[in-house]
Amino acid sequence: MDFKLSGHLDPALTDPATRKLRTDKLIGRWLNTNPDTQGIVECVIEQEGELFKIDVFGAGPDGPIHWPTCRTKPLANLEEEAGQRAFALSATFEFEFMTAETYIRVNKGVLVIVLFASFRDGSKRSDYVNREFFYRVNRER
Amino acid sequence: MEFAQVYDRVELDSVGEPLDPSGLRGVWINSNPDTNGIARMEFADIEGKLSVRVDGIGPDGLIDWGSVPVKLFAAAPGSRNTAGFTCTYDFGFAETRLQAMIMKGLIVLAQVHEFKDNSGRMEFFVREYFAVVHDRY
Repeated sequence: MDFKLSGHLDPALTDPATRKLRTDKLIGRWLNTNPDTQGIVECVIEQEGELFKIDVFGAGPDGPIHWPTCRTKPLANLEEEAGQRAFALSATFEFEFMTAETYIRVNKGVLVIVLFASFRDGSKRSDYVNREFFYRVNRER
Repeated sequence: MEFAQVYDRVELDSVGEPLDPSGLRGVWINSNPDTNGIARMEFADIEGKLSVRVDGIGPDGLIDWGSVPVKLFAAAPGSRNTAGFTCTYDFGFAETRLQAMIMKGLIVLAQVHEFKDNSGRMEFFVREYFAVVHDRY
């Protein structure tokens, strides 16, 4: 089996139990812990079979801006430090003027979204990275 | 100016100057000596572009991944200070995407490993922390 680091040989990666980890820690409606955010105000994560459907809403001047829906496969989150066995998500949102790559994980009940934004509209804006935190609320909107 | 969140709507007082990568240059070591992931990263200019060379830790020692160019990210759309980077290694049997934030002198490195070899291994995610090697004290 090919590898480029010992983690590629982690038995957990081929353990069927890893694919059956609980998804309920990720699923739901998540609101930004900062009510004054100018970034992502809300994230809704649902499971559709083997995929996760992610709807993100950015802060807009006249209300939330619904980003293009992203569907993605789950990633086994093998963070050693906390001994966690959970899922993380890697999701890319495509706009005409920008690509937003994110990774999403839950740490102690807090959803963390790290966003890498790349502009392609010639606006001279810097590509940037930002991190925001979210708490879960009732899934019904 | 188009935007997906108010944060992206900025007034720019500089004209598209490149980000300053000087804070990344050098050797960065994993804070966890027992890692089974990435042991070290070295940043250097190659043909005028900032590149990173990664050493993974394998069962028999370090594994040189070679150098790839990195894409730099600022702290905000109106900032020119480097606050992160991304790059991709395609190993044939797997692809590894590195997405990093620089926070309080540490690189927080997220890694997404996707396998393409039908080995049955699940894609996985891991984060590791790196500190720059220096000789100040």
